[in-house]
Amino acid sequence: MVSIARKNLFQDLPRFIVAQAGIMFAVGLVTIQVGLLNGFTRSSTLLIENAEADIWIASKELQHLDLTLPLKYKILTQAKAVQGVERAEALIAQSTVWRYQTEQIAPIRIIGFDPKSQLFHPHPILEGNLEQINQPYSIFIDSLDLKQLDVQGVGNQSEIGSFKGKVVGLTKGIRSIVSSPYVFTSLPNAVAYLNSPIASPQKNPPVPAPLTENNLITFVLVKARPGEDIQGLKARLAKALPDTRILTQSELTELTQKHWQQSTGVGYILGLGAVVGIIVGTVVVGQILYSSVTDHLKEFGTMKAMGSSDWFIYRIILEQALWMAILGYLPGMGLCLSLGAWTMNVQAIQILIKPLTAAGVFLVTVTMCSGAAVFAIQKVTRLDAALVFKS
Amino acid sequence: MTLIHESHSDTAAPLRETAIQAHGIEMAYQVGDHAFKALKGIDLEIQTGDIELLMGPSGSGKTTLLSILGGILTPTAGEITLLGQKITGLSRRRLAKFRLQNIGFIFQGFNLFPALTAAENIEATLNLKGIRGRAAKKTALKLLKQVDLADKRHNLPRDLSGGQKQRVAIARALAGNPRLILADEPTAALDSQIGHTIMELLRRLAQEEGCTVLMVTHDPRIQDIADRVVYVEDGLIIPQQPANFSAPKPEVQYP
Repeated sequence: MVSIARKNLFQDLPRFIVAQAGIMFAVGLVTIQVGLLNGFTRSSTLLIENAEADIWIASKELQHLDLTLPLKYKILTQAKAVQGVERAEALIAQSTVWRYQTEQIAPIRIIGFDPKSQLFHPHPILEGNLEQINQPYSIFIDSLDLKQLDVQGVGNQSEIGSFKGKVVGLTKGIRSIVSSPYVFTSLPNAVAYLNSPIASPQKNPPVPAPLTENNLITFVLVKARPGEDIQGLKARLAKALPDTRILTQSELTELTQKHWQQSTGVGYILGLGAVVGIIVGTVVVGQILYSSVTDHLKEFGTMKAMGSSDWFIYRIILEQALWMAILGYLPGMGLCLSLGAWTMNVQAIQILIKPLTAAGVFLVTVTMCSGAAVFAIQKVTRLDAALVFKS
Repeated sequence: MTLIHESHSDTAAPLRETAIQAHGIEMAYQVGDHAFKALKGIDLEIQTGDIELLMGPSGSGKTTLLSILGGILTPTAGEITLLGQKITGLSRRRLAKFRLQNIGFIFQGFNLFPALTAAENIEATLNLKGIRGRAAKKTALKLLKQVDLADKRHNLPRDLSGGQKQRVAIARALAGNPRLILADEPTAALDSQIGHTIMELLRRLAQEEGCTVLMVTHDPRIQDIADRVVYVEDGLIIPQQPANFSAPKPEVQYP
């Protein structure tokens, strides 16, 4: 069958290219906004993604991952004693201060854990052996934070609170948009850093001591025994540890993501950008289709005069819209993927384009183009076939 | 029926079916506060296989009459029967289907799709009529051969001369074997020699295919090709060529 739609579309190549640029812009805007929202949301719970716990135990005041009060270390022992718990480990996640060589300071987030942990292990590791953090005042930082922390790489030293911090390894890509740079270390180091006096750096700091019952941690990560009912275990933990808040890993993820989306209004802002993209795309496609139909009015009139059904002509316009959608979407999405990779490498800002996002944007593009075709279809519907007899 | 001028009439011919039968056709428009009657009661009968011309001065109502007889415009009064089917009162959709199955159109401005090649223009019409794929390609080529343009099948309209465009338009009008061809000033955009050749071609093909042809024209040079000429003036059929009828003077006299 002769594709009048395709032929009409490619007949005027410069105009077609302008139209496709408009659609690409719309696709890009929608994809990047949604990708940024995805990236932002994911980034807010990146730390949770590095854990393989079934349940997180936190202070009962917990608001979200980054806002909670500490727990006593003895909670770990109590949790281990609860029936159905296969393993429990402590995790410290608290803020303190990074001192630059220039004596300026910046906030950081100390993440203290057992490097032999089975429930929390930052990954991927770019350089170094995680067990090295057992050495006093040894730390891992993320390669994306090197510039921000003014560190060249492994072997460099800086100060956290009033103690030194020697970089012994690097992670790759564990960076949160909503949090200060993560500094990974052992539990004793973390406690030492968090308890260190802020006043002035100490030249010979004491060797960090193992944790005791009264030391403060932030979370207890729990792994249930195989086949254990998680909700049942949650209930038993809540009963055994009355002053705590017990959440499954997915509940904590959801709580945290919801908090950041709602409290910052980021969902609204980025969503607004996506809507603007859709409007711009609809207007561009609508204009192009409308002017294409206007240009070919006589031909459409001729078809009507010859006895074509309205639907046959609508199909031509809709096919044209579909071609525009596909040919605008593909390069638009390609551009977004490249841009996403570039921003991740250069700025460490993740534009997360999930397969579902890509499929959703395609659907939006097709809907946008088909919606824009309505104006052109209306024009054809009103077209008087007798027009063909006017020279 | 008003028979004004018979060029090829054959009184001894056997009785033929009536292709077009129109009775009391009126067409009124409202222009501002004034009602304007473009057609004031037209009676017309055309036999199957005839080639008939509708002539008259500009604004006389010929094109309106052609549009009405083609089922494109609905008259404000009167009855039309085409090929034995009464079309007045048919729904828009059924009228469109009737046109698609029975009528081929030829226009003054050719009205070819500029983005489609000569063959594709015909194929698109065949597609419209439900003929697709290889069958459509084969038929389009056959029709182009009939109008002697097979070698131009891949040319876009912009690469064809006026005469070639009109030949493609004729081939397109013949696509799907219509029983009636309606043409609006088919030679107006062509020079006289090409115009005459086109008319000869149309006459030959119409006879081969057994089509009835009704044509609006200003061109007196093609009268000899027609079986009959009907003159229209002020929305009425008149018994003879109007005194003030000023057709364009031919640049070349047809033989």
